[in-house]
Amino acid sequence: MKTFDYLKAKTLDAAVREYTDKTVLKAGGIDLLDRLKERIHEPDTLVSIEGLKDLAYIKEEAGGLKIGAMSTLADIARSDLIRTKYQGLWTSAAHAATPQVRERATVGGNLCQRPRCWYFRNQAFHCKKKGGEHCFAADGENQYHAIFGDAGCHIVHPSNIAPALLALDAVFVVKSKAGERTIKSTEFFTMPDVDIDRENVLKPGDIVTEIQIPASPTQSATIELREKQSFDWPLVLVSVARVSGAWHVGMGAVAPVPMRSAEAEAILKNQDLTADLITAAAAAAVKPAEPMSQNKHKVTLLRVAIERALKLSVGMEVPQ
Amino acid sequence: MSIEKDNRVALENDGMRLDIVAKVTGAAKYSTDQYLPNLLWAAFIRCPYGEATASKSSKEKAEKVKGVLEVNMGNPRGRYDGDRVGYICAESRHALEEAMAAIEIEWQVGKPKTRLSREKTPLEKIDAPQRANEAAQAMENAPVVIERTYDTQVQTHCSLEPHGGTVDAKGDSAIAWVSTQGTFSVRDDLVRTLQMRPTNVEVHCEYVGGGFGSKFGAGPEGDLAARMSKKYGRPCRCFCSRYEEQTDTGMRPGSMQYMKVAADKSGKILGARIHTWGSVGTNGGGGGMSNPSRYNFGVVAKSHQDVNLNSGGPRAMRAPGHPQGMFAVELMIDELAAELGMDPMALRLKADGNRTRSEMMQIGADMIGWKDRLPNGSAKGVIKRGLGMGVTDWGNGGGRATVGVNIHRDGTVEVLSGSQDIGTGFRTMVASAARSQIGCDRKYVTAKVGDSRLPPGPGSGGSVTSRMVAPKAMNAGLLAKQELLKAVAAEWKTDAAKLSIKDGAITDGQQTLDWEKACKLIPNGQISITSSDDGPFAPRGTGSEGVQFVDLTVDTETGIVRVKKIIALQNVGQAVFRSGVENQITGGVIQGLSFALFENRILNRENGTMVNPNMEFYKIAGSMDIPEIIPIIWKNEGDVSVNSVGEPPGIATPGAIGCAIYNAIGVPVRSMPMTPDKILAALATKETIG
Repeated sequence: MKTFDYLKAKTLDAAVREYTDKTVLKAGGIDLLDRLKERIHEPDTLVSIEGLKDLAYIKEEAGGLKIGAMSTLADIARSDLIRTKYQGLWTSAAHAATPQVRERATVGGNLCQRPRCWYFRNQAFHCKKKGGEHCFAADGENQYHAIFGDAGCHIVHPSNIAPALLALDAVFVVKSKAGERTIKSTEFFTMPDVDIDRENVLKPGDIVTEIQIPASPTQSATIELREKQSFDWPLVLVSVARVSGAWHVGMGAVAPVPMRSAEAEAILKNQDLTADLITAAAAAAVKPAEPMSQNKHKVTLLRVAIERALKLSVGMEVPQ
Repeated sequence: MSIEKDNRVALENDGMRLDIVAKVTGAAKYSTDQYLPNLLWAAFIRCPYGEATASKSSKEKAEKVKGVLEVNMGNPRGRYDGDRVGYICAESRHALEEAMAAIEIEWQVGKPKTRLSREKTPLEKIDAPQRANEAAQAMENAPVVIERTYDTQVQTHCSLEPHGGTVDAKGDSAIAWVSTQGTFSVRDDLVRTLQMRPTNVEVHCEYVGGGFGSKFGAGPEGDLAARMSKKYGRPCRCFCSRYEEQTDTGMRPGSMQYMKVAADKSGKILGARIHTWGSVGTNGGGGGMSNPSRYNFGVVAKSHQDVNLNSGGPRAMRAPGHPQGMFAVELMIDELAAELGMDPMALRLKADGNRTRSEMMQIGADMIGWKDRLPNGSAKGVIKRGLGMGVTDWGNGGGRATVGVNIHRDGTVEVLSGSQDIGTGFRTMVASAARSQIGCDRKYVTAKVGDSRLPPGPGSGGSVTSRMVAPKAMNAGLLAKQELLKAVAAEWKTDAAKLSIKDGAITDGQQTLDWEKACKLIPNGQISITSSDDGPFAPRGTGSEGVQFVDLTVDTETGIVRVKKIIALQNVGQAVFRSGVENQITGGVIQGLSFALFENRILNRENGTMVNPNMEFYKIAGSMDIPEIIPIIWKNEGDVSVNSVGEPPGIATPGAIGCAIYNAIGVPVRSMPMTPDKILAALATKETIG
C-alpha cells in the first residue's frame, strides 16, 4: 500500500475537522485496509476514529434504541437488549462475517463500507466506480450482482445490518462542521445513477455518530442466505419488522442500495400474517426484479428469504 | 471387526504432535518468517489479463523510486493473468511496492481463451480411440445404456504459506529458506542457478504452511531470490502475494467428462465410451483424469484432450486427476443404479472387485445408517436428507530415503531426516517410527527435519514420504537400540541378545536399568546410526483403499447444502501416529468437500482476468461448513508396512457428496461446485419433467 499519514482523532470535533476530501476516515478498518492493500484507494492521510470510545454504546431510550456508531457488530451480538427486542437486527449482526471481523467491524463502518464487487476490488478493471466508462458485471461474471435497479453499475450494497435498520425506520445522526443532522435510513443510501462515486449521501467531513431506532418492533426477523456458512457474503438478506402495526421488508445484497420492498409492504400493510399473505407479499417483492445473465437464482432466493423472514418473525415454522 | 479397537492400531496412539506447542505459540518459524539484516525484496511484474501485449511501457518512474536496484521488463507479452513479464528488486518492501505501482504499461488486450466448454474439440470431431469398436459392440443391444457429461471446475492450491524463499548467497556458498515440499529438489535447483557445489548450498524448511503438490523445486520465486542475492551480495526475499498464489502457482485443471456406459439388467457393466477434456494452461498438458477408475467398466474405449486456456498452468494437486475423475465416476454409478432400480451400494459391490473395500462398505453402511436411505428424491419436506458414498485407493509409489538416529548419554534421542513436514505431521511420524523400535518413553525423542544438511529423503509427493521414510526410521531405531543393548550387556557382562527394552527400561528378565542410566553407559558420547535400508520393515503394497459415506441435507427451496456427517474408512497399512493419520484423512475430506461445494477459479470471460484471486471471493469451506468427520484407520490382518495416506482420502469425497445430493433431491447435479444456483436449476428441470 501507499504510504500515508495516520491521524488519530482524540475527539469527534477533531475528527470532523481533519476529515476532508483529502483524507479518509477509518473506524474498524475492515473494509479500508483491503482497499489500501489493493491500491483501490491511495489516500495521503487517514483519520482514525477508533479511539472515540464514547461513541460505542447501546442504550434504550423512550421506547426506542440508540446505538453509538463505534459499537461493533460483536457488541450488538452480545446485547441481550437487542437480542430480545430487535431479533432481526441482532441476527443481521451476530451472523455477519466471522467472530474476529465482528469484533473489529463497527456499526458506522458497516453502513459506510464500499461495495465488494470483484470488478471494483480489482485494479485490472477500470470500472465506472473508479472513473471508467464500463460496468464489467453487465456482460461478465455477475452471479453475485444486483437483481434490482439497473443504474449502470450493478453492485450490491454489502451492509448486513442496513436492511434491518431500514425495516426498523432507523435514523442516522451525522456530525459535520456545520453541526449535527439526522438522515432517515431510507434516504441515506444512493443509487449509482445519482452518484457513482459513493453509495450514500455523506460528503467528506460527515461522520455517522449514532443510529436511532424510534420504537422497538412487535415482531422482527432476518434471514440471510449464503453459499458458505463461515465467512461469506449473503446471496440475499431479508430483514422484516412490524413497527406500529405496519410491516416493513428490508432487502440486502440484491441492489446497489439496501432497500425496502414497497410491493411487499403494500400487500402486507397492517395485517396479521397468514400463509397466503406471506406468499403474495414475497411474490410481489420479486416481481420487479430484473436479474442478470447469471443470477436468476437470486430472485428465487429473495422470494424464499422474504417468506421465511416473515414466518420466522411471527413464530410460524420455517425449514431449517 | 471393532472400529474402536482398530482406530488404535497405530504405533503411537496417544502422543501429540512434537511441534504442536511451537506452532500454536508462534515459536515455529516458517520460511516466510525469515527477515534477514540487509535484506533485498524482489517480485515479478505480472500481466493482469488473459492475453495481452505491452504496446507501450516505461520503467523510468519505477527505477527512480528510492531504494530500487533493478527493474527488468524483458517480456512484452503476457499469456495469462499473473504471467511474469519482468521483475523488480529493491532494498525494502515499501520501495518494491512503490516501484511496482510506478510501472507504466499500456496493454493491448487480445482474445483470451477462458472457457473449457467453448474451446474444447466437440466429441464428434475426436478421433476414435483404441477399442472403440470393441466397446461399441459390448454396448450394442445392452438393456441399459446411459450417456452423461459431467464437469468440474479449476481448484487452486491455496497454501496458507505462499510460495517463495529467501536466499543468502555469499561468495561460493548460500543458505536458503524456502517454502517447499522438496528440500533436496530446492537445493539441486539452487545449485544449478547459483553454479555452486551441493556441499555449499543449505536449504531450510523446518516448517511449511502447505503445498498440496505445488511446491516442488525452488520455483520462479526461489530462482529470482537466488539470482538477485548472488548479484548484489545480499540476502534476497521473494514471496508471492495471495493474488500471485491464485494465478501463477498451479491449479487442479478443470474437466468435462463424457461417459456412455452400458450394463445388463443384473448390474454388470458391459462397456463404456469415455472422453475427457482437461483445461490446462497456455502450454503443455497435465489435464488428464482417472476416469474410468476403481470399478470394472467392462470394455472401455477412452480418449482425452488437454485444452489450452489462457491461465496459469496446472501443478500436481493432491491426487492429481483423481477427485474430478471420481466425481463423474461415482455419480455415473448412482445414475446407472437408479436406471437399473438397484441400490447404489449393491451396484458398487458388484463393480468393485476389491475385498478390503467390500468389507469397508458393509461397516461404513452400518455406521451411516445406509439401510435408512430412501430412494432418490423421495424424502419428504423442504429440507431433504441424502446419503451418498464413494471409493478410493492409491498406487503406493517408491523412492529413496535415509534416516539418522542419535542416542545421547543423557537419554535424549534425535531422529534426523532432511525431508520436510509440509504440515502433515511428518516430524512426529519419523520420531514415532523410530521410537516404536527403540522403546524409550516419548519424552526423550525429538526429530529434526526440513534441512538439506540432514540425511536425504523424498519430496512430499505421491504420498510416499511416510511410506519411504518410516521403514528407514524404524530400522535405524532398531539398530540404535541394539547398540544401546550392547553397551548395557557389556556392563552386565551378558549377551546383548538376552536384553530387551520394556516399559522404557532395559531388562534381561531379572534385573532392569532405567533408560537414562542405561544411556550413561554409551561409549564415545553417543550412538549414531544412519540407515538407508528398510531392514525387516520393507514396505509392501496395500492399495490404500478407502470408502466414504456422506450424510447431508439439501434445502430444496434455496439449493443450500449442509453436510452433516462424513465417515471415511481408510486403509493405510501400518499407521504410525494416530492423530497424524486421522488429520490426514480429515484434511483430505475437508479439501474434497470444499472442492465439491465451494471452490471455483473464475476467469472473466472477456479479458481472462481472474475475478476471485483471493480467499474472500475464492470460497473455501470454513469451520461452519465442515461436518462431523469420522476418520476410521483401517488395518487389514497382517499389514505391517506403512502405506500412503496423503492423497487417497480426498478422492472419494466429491463423488460421495454428489451422490448424496442426487439421493436427496432426486436429480443429479452433474457440475461442480454444486452451488445453490446449480441445485435450483437441477430441481427446476425435475419439475419441468414432472
